[in-house]
Amino acid sequence: MAGQSDHELSLFSAEELEFIAEDEIVDIVPNLKMDPLCLISGDFGPFTPQIVTQVPLWLAIALKKRGKCSICPPQWMTVEKLTQVLEVERDSQEMSEHLPFHYVEISRLLFDHARDNIPDAYMVRSLIEDIRDVRFHKVETDLEGFNGRTIAVKIKNLSAMEVNIVRPFIGRALQAFYKHDSSELIPDPERAPDRRPQVAHNAPRRQLRR
Amino acid sequence: MASYYDIDDILVEEEIVSVIFQKAASGVGIDPSSETDFIEAGSKVELPFWLAHELQLRQAVSVNVPPCFNQKTRLEIQADCACVDLRSRCPYFYEFGCKIAPIVGDRTIGFLLLSAFKNRYKEVLTKAHTATIAVGSKFWTILTKEEINLYETAQSAMASFKKWRMGGARFQIASILGRKRKPTE
Repeated sequence: MAGQSDHELSLFSAEELEFIAEDEIVDIVPNLKMDPLCLISGDFGPFTPQIVTQVPLWLAIALKKRGKCSICPPQWMTVEKLTQVLEVERDSQEMSEHLPFHYVEISRLLFDHARDNIPDAYMVRSLIEDIRDVRFHKVETDLEGFNGRTIAVKIKNLSAMEVNIVRPFIGRALQAFYKHDSSELIPDPERAPDRRPQVAHNAPRRQLRR
Repeated sequence: MASYYDIDDILVEEEIVSVIFQKAASGVGIDPSSETDFIEAGSKVELPFWLAHELQLRQAVSVNVPPCFNQKTRLEIQADCACVDLRSRCPYFYEFGCKIAPIVGDRTIGFLLLSAFKNRYKEVLTKAHTATIAVGSKFWTILTKEEINLYETAQSAMASFKKWRMGGARFQIASILGRKRKPTE
């Protein structure tokens, strides 16, 4: 409706998010000797065999593909940590804050390119899938609370990929709610005055869910 | 506002409404059932919305509440909103409702639309992101156009995420690359 084309609604594709996630820093253990790399985003290295160094994920993957390093999986990507996170996620309606913003993308990149560096890869993978499912279910529960008065939703610690999946849906839903709730149909003497000033100078927003 | 070329907006205005002529009109072939080209005051005729609206502005007709907003439908919507087949009643239920409300001067239509959408939205939300295509297609048939749009956005977002997660061909090969070189004489 209202002439919204798809590209306006969904700003990022999953591939683009993956690209952004590649800027996250990871630890690698190189097995080559190389001078520091001076890039616009910073200096990385020097690379000395068996000495841990920090590089962006894209560089780590590039080196890994050539067999020049092994990637140390991030701390949250271990069976114990993930089991804890999964329990926390299941216990409360709040989103857990222990996962990085790009956990879906990072885990997928590491599984694709550095599977041999992840201990218990299969277990870790299924834990991440479970966590993602639980979290997504929570997002849906939060969205059920929408009604005509909603002008924004607040969900803490939502990750990049999760928000990207629901973004087009939320956009459209809010648009539809706004349309049906707005008093444009027939001016209603009670509601018209209390709506106007809010639109005019962005007065303090109404308290929404959580 | 809806754009002039918005096909949905045009189709909404094609919806038929029944009107009662307040004035007698002659020389019009609006009513196919009448034998003459003359419409008496007080006769009931079905017209597309856009025409009814224009005539109503000139106070030539009075518009009746269309059947999709009558008492029976309202009761059904109150009873179990999510299962009402709105599509067969009016595929543009919400848009049509917004347009017809100021004309028939019925303020309750606005509330009806909002409450119907609020309840049906939950149903769309729970099914859209999780249901498979096969399950979804059955559910589809009762949705209005606007709800289908909503449903499809959610489905396509989910589908593109799943596609990304499964992997597959990362890069597209430029059309010029795969081609064989023409044999040079």
